[in-house]
Amino acid sequence: MRSMTAVMKVGLVAIALILGAVFLAAADEPPIKLGAVNPLGDITGAQATKAMRLAVAEINAAGGLLGRQLELVVIDSELDPAKGAAAIDRLATVENVDIFIGGMSSGVHLAQIPALKKYGKVTVWIGAASSLVEQAVEGLDWYFHLHPWDYLQGASYVEGWAAIQEEYPLIQIHKAFWAYEEGAFGTSSYQGSLVAHEAWENIGESFKSAALGGGDYRSVLRHAQEEDPDIFIWVGYGADALPIMEQAREIAFTPPLFVGSPPGWPADFGKSPLAEGVIAYGMWAPSIKDISPVSNHFWNAYIDMFDEEPATYFAPLGYTNVYVVAQAIERAGTLDEAALIAALEQTEYDSPLGETVTFTPSNLINHQGFQGQKILQWQDGEQQVIWPFEYATALPHYPYTGR
Amino acid sequence: MALVRRLGRTGIFVVLAAVVLLALLAVWKPYVVIEGIQRGGLYALIALPMALILGIVGIINLAHGEFMMLGAYFAYWLSVYTGMDPLVAMLPALAVFALLGVATYLLTIRRALKAPELNQLLLTFGLAMMASQFANLMWTSRPLKPHLSYVYSSMRLGSLTFGTYAFVYTAGAIALLVGLLLFLKRTRVGKAALAVGQNPRGARLVGIDVNRTYLVIFSLSIALVGAIGALFLTRHSVFPSVGSPFTMKSFCLIAMAGIGNLSGVVWGGFGLGIAEAFVLSFRGYGGWADVVFFAVLVAVIMGRSYRRRTA
Repeated sequence: MRSMTAVMKVGLVAIALILGAVFLAAADEPPIKLGAVNPLGDITGAQATKAMRLAVAEINAAGGLLGRQLELVVIDSELDPAKGAAAIDRLATVENVDIFIGGMSSGVHLAQIPALKKYGKVTVWIGAASSLVEQAVEGLDWYFHLHPWDYLQGASYVEGWAAIQEEYPLIQIHKAFWAYEEGAFGTSSYQGSLVAHEAWENIGESFKSAALGGGDYRSVLRHAQEEDPDIFIWVGYGADALPIMEQAREIAFTPPLFVGSPPGWPADFGKSPLAEGVIAYGMWAPSIKDISPVSNHFWNAYIDMFDEEPATYFAPLGYTNVYVVAQAIERAGTLDEAALIAALEQTEYDSPLGETVTFTPSNLINHQGFQGQKILQWQDGEQQVIWPFEYATALPHYPYTGR
Repeated sequence: MALVRRLGRTGIFVVLAAVVLLALLAVWKPYVVIEGIQRGGLYALIALPMALILGIVGIINLAHGEFMMLGAYFAYWLSVYTGMDPLVAMLPALAVFALLGVATYLLTIRRALKAPELNQLLLTFGLAMMASQFANLMWTSRPLKPHLSYVYSSMRLGSLTFGTYAFVYTAGAIALLVGLLLFLKRTRVGKAALAVGQNPRGARLVGIDVNRTYLVIFSLSIALVGAIGALFLTRHSVFPSVGSPFTMKSFCLIAMAGIGNLSGVVWGGFGLGIAEAFVLSFRGYGGWADVVFFAVLVAVIMGRSYRRRTA
């Protein structure tokens, strides 16, 4: 009996030693490194990075990937193409990252593409919507893109407005007035929209955004007022959002549909009564958390970790970025490039943006994730999804009253 | 011809021509005059403190717009944490930015007064970069603006509806001009500042503390531009790079008016504001507003130079 107990003790010690050795061996494994290049001074980059950190923390808390921890290395692009390109070199040569993820701005990304081609590592990019980027990455099998391309966005708005008009016959759009900021962002968006919305009578005029030293929109608003459009769409920056509403109210301009399309909304926009009924375009709205458990989990976890609310769709997009990569690594069981590409091609991830992410071909690349944007509306201080109807969180309010 | 030349020399001809043009414009496109005076008032208001520093201390403060940006952030956070209206926040902003002006002068400007002008420019440019990066790190680039219902108050005259609140900038520019002229001509410190501005060495010889005068004028200017930042916030969003375009516009206005000519800054502001509003009133020509701004600037500077040569 005594010898039996001794054998058991020896056995237990041996098992403990073996488990300890395995654990130590696993702990000694270098982490899997994800290298991101985000503009940290901009809210899109700052919140996307936080969301990436949240995803990495969750994955590591659940045991990591392939018995290894996940490490996120982030370099600030400062929205500077030269710095963005240099960051790719640093991530590849100094940090030795396994996969590239991130980032924002088509201008920055265009400068990064030669460096990405030089290293040929698997890249899963969340921003850079310009179709010029798509042309630059044509034929690259290791390149995966999540954000819808500009023409996909345009097509989704056309589809969305057609569906809305069909569902709600009171809403009819024949004439559109586009007020677009005079820089590359506004001009290319407007030109793309002309092609997409060819069924409408489109009138456009540029304005100088507050972000570039402007901020007086009254002349363009007066011209729009003279045209009496069914829909007024301004394409500018967040800095223009409240002032343009206030100045429209000043001159008593209240089109039936008032649409804003900035990359990010200012913090207090929803608090203004003028925001009520304003239509927005975007990939996500906080209200999606009410219909999507993944979005709800993301929302609460993000607030718990950072004590702030996600305010841009780049936050859930950053979170999605890490999970798409992590699940592919898990499926591939290795970091071997061919296996990883094959695993990414099988992606089916229920994202906090509402949709399930899969990669399908777009015009020029084989791995395009999201296919379009959503049409949102500010109601009672919050953005609600009004289209696609399967993700709708509220009915549209019509017409805009500018109250 | 001689009469016209004489009138032109005295400026009456120019004033008469401007009044007639303005009257015609007011009949043709009344909103151009209204909005031009409003936007010109904003330009002049922001430019006046810079003109004061340039005229007296002799330094081009390239961080001028950034101090305004910090003033706007100051008012914004005061409104968030205490509920204070940005218009009321102008008063604490005056005090806080006066102290900031004192610190900036003592720590940096004073040490560069005798340095070559390029070094002075680089110094204030460095201050501007520091201020905008500081704002970026503290509050990100996300624009901030409180909702204030009074900023979209409007008036209807016949078929024309126009905003009335933006006249606050026009009134502010005129009030600041009058205040500064009274300060410079009626107070002891102001007279000393004028003397220092004209001839610092001579002023020192007659017993004026030049360094102290520079300190007072620099701090006063920063206090004013900080308070103007609070006023600016009522109608504009604040973000780290919001100030720099106004530094350039202010400098151009001062160059147009002539250094030390505070009244010229205000009239020049109105002129440029109306010229811009006129160009913007034609659909599709909005992009020409900046061209007109600088064309008017170049024309005025060349005209002044021509008058000097022929005088």
